[in-house]
Amino acid sequence: MPDILALVLQQTLNGVYLGCLYVLVALGLTLIYGVMNQINFAHADFVTIGAFTAFFSASRLATHVLGLPDATAYLLSIFFAMGAGALLGYLINAAVFAPLRDRGDELRPLIATIGVSVLLENGQLALFGPIPYSFDSPFTQHTLRLGKIFFSAQSLLVVVVAALAIGGLHAFMRHTYLGKALRAVSQDRETAGLMGINERYLIGLTIVIASALAGLAGALLGPVIVLTPFAGSSVIVKAFAIVIIGGFGNMEGTIIAGILVGIIEAFTVQYLGSGLIDLVVFVLLLAMLAVRPTGLIAERREENV
Amino acid sequence: MISRRLVEGIALFAAIGCALASAPALAQKTIKIGVLIPVSGPASYFGVQGKEGMDLALDQINRGSGVNGNHFEVKIEDSACSPLQATNTAKRMLEQFKPDVVIGEECSDASLAIAPIFEQAHVPMLNAGSATNQLTESGYKYVFRIFPNAKQQGIPLGRNAYTKLGARTAVLLYEKTNAGVDNADGFAKEFEAAGGKILARIDFGRDVNDFTPIATRIAALGKVDVLPTFGLEGQQVRLSQALAQAQVVKGGGGSGIQMGSIWLPWGYDAKAGQASVGYVRIVQFDPTEKRKVVTDFIAAFRARYGADKTPTHINAHAYDTIQLVAEAVRQGATDAESIRDRFSRIKDLELTTGKITFDASGQTVDPSVIHFVETQPDLSWKSLPW
Repeated sequence: MPDILALVLQQTLNGVYLGCLYVLVALGLTLIYGVMNQINFAHADFVTIGAFTAFFSASRLATHVLGLPDATAYLLSIFFAMGAGALLGYLINAAVFAPLRDRGDELRPLIATIGVSVLLENGQLALFGPIPYSFDSPFTQHTLRLGKIFFSAQSLLVVVVAALAIGGLHAFMRHTYLGKALRAVSQDRETAGLMGINERYLIGLTIVIASALAGLAGALLGPVIVLTPFAGSSVIVKAFAIVIIGGFGNMEGTIIAGILVGIIEAFTVQYLGSGLIDLVVFVLLLAMLAVRPTGLIAERREENV
Repeated sequence: MISRRLVEGIALFAAIGCALASAPALAQKTIKIGVLIPVSGPASYFGVQGKEGMDLALDQINRGSGVNGNHFEVKIEDSACSPLQATNTAKRMLEQFKPDVVIGEECSDASLAIAPIFEQAHVPMLNAGSATNQLTESGYKYVFRIFPNAKQQGIPLGRNAYTKLGARTAVLLYEKTNAGVDNADGFAKEFEAAGGKILARIDFGRDVNDFTPIATRIAALGKVDVLPTFGLEGQQVRLSQALAQAQVVKGGGGSGIQMGSIWLPWGYDAKAGQASVGYVRIVQFDPTEKRKVVTDFIAAFRARYGADKTPTHINAHAYDTIQLVAEAVRQGATDAESIRDRFSRIKDLELTTGKITFDASGQTVDPSVIHFVETQPDLSWKSLPW
């Protein structure tokens, strides 16, 4: 294979992998916006908590207590991370978001997400300290090589899990009663309520699913990023950009935008320099807002989620 | 008559008593040390480790009768490695705490932001973690630094890459900050002057997590002899792993040698694993060193923080800053002006991170304990006799 072709293919693969990581983070954001029309600024911290849960459950519980092999322990830790995210999402919704929503004020829940973010970040700082943790998945150690092309087993795992998460979420939204009910709530809350759909329950479920997705993203990101209590914030800005480029609340748009941003990022590193990544991504964001404010997939609220 | 003598005697006795009582009060002073370090944010590991080192030194100093009868009072504020937050915190500290000396900041950009504030207030600022040359090359009279600047680190790296490692090509990897740029420039200048060639300069922000695209780009450049790398520990771990995966560096079966500076604390090699094998870097604080000041410090550190804990250069630098203030007070300093004066006259003061002698710009100039190490396959350090 000619060198240039191998290089283009390699950077494309790097970009797809990076894009899948971004999509995993952005899915929860877009789900919450699609159903509740609300931005969750605490999403990054749910990702970080997922990463720490996976780290401790893989390195302490699954390996030392249950005596599982490293690979099994890590795969199991992904479920622990999803569970921790879901549980935290449920508790925070019950304690903070739901009571504020019940007052009928849309601004307060939004501001509350900022408060929750600061609380979680500093709570993790007190609990885990600021020194970076060394979280290596056993899949990171295995590099697969096909001629000049290489990728780690971890990146393959990320792509597979992202595909499964996207497929599972799509199937849930399209083919289950709860999914259809969620879409009904996103289209028109009042009418959905008149049809006997429990709006309060479904909004809580949305937060739980989005938080579980954040936990999943954290478990897969943990071995890739620098694991500190601020880990999630390093990817959240780009996740927000992806949600906007894709069309706020639109899942298909988010997936396309995530992969696109990942590939653009990889090629920016190759041909322009890694210092220009943010510049390129946010120029794209501004261009999208100017030319196509609805995002890549035109906004039609009834089809968003 | 008797009563007059009695009154005079009592008055004299009282005067002597008052003089005696007030003498120690005049001699005893609380030296106020303001500390600006990152306690929050991604660079907060500097602050946490810095506080450990300072607490240890303060315990040792304040435990007895202090230094010349003076005790130290320390106020730590979070400057978050951020120029804006550091500036606001510095101003507030000057107004409210009125320090005699200030220690900080760790990050170069924040240090550059607060230096003119303390210069204007005539309060000496002692820095132990910023590498940018500009900090002590801006003509400040109240800025002192016990950390080697970018030139002191980059020049020997560049020279030894060419002469000792036989490197002829290099790719520079550095974070996009004053310190990162200065370190990279220092290396490039020396390496190119010797005849070496810089194939690429690759900078990155602190929010970059996945370094695979960067490693791919470097792999496509062909044979690279050395890769001088300047970044925070967490990112360097991931960068080394990506370079190993792309078979660029020795740790991944390639031929390139990653080189680095004092930025990396003790413990980096264990975190990066096999990817760090063959990494050559400068260290200033080496916990395996046998100097008495180092062994005493490690013993005291372990007694306080746990037998299994090994201090990093961040712990050691912070410990040294308090010891340096203590030395100035030992030499008679009692306020900001006299502390600045004593700092400027300090010569060959032996501390855990080396001998301190400041030049006219306030930069420590004695590189006696800076040496090179190479990470071995068992992740231990091998000292290089350069």
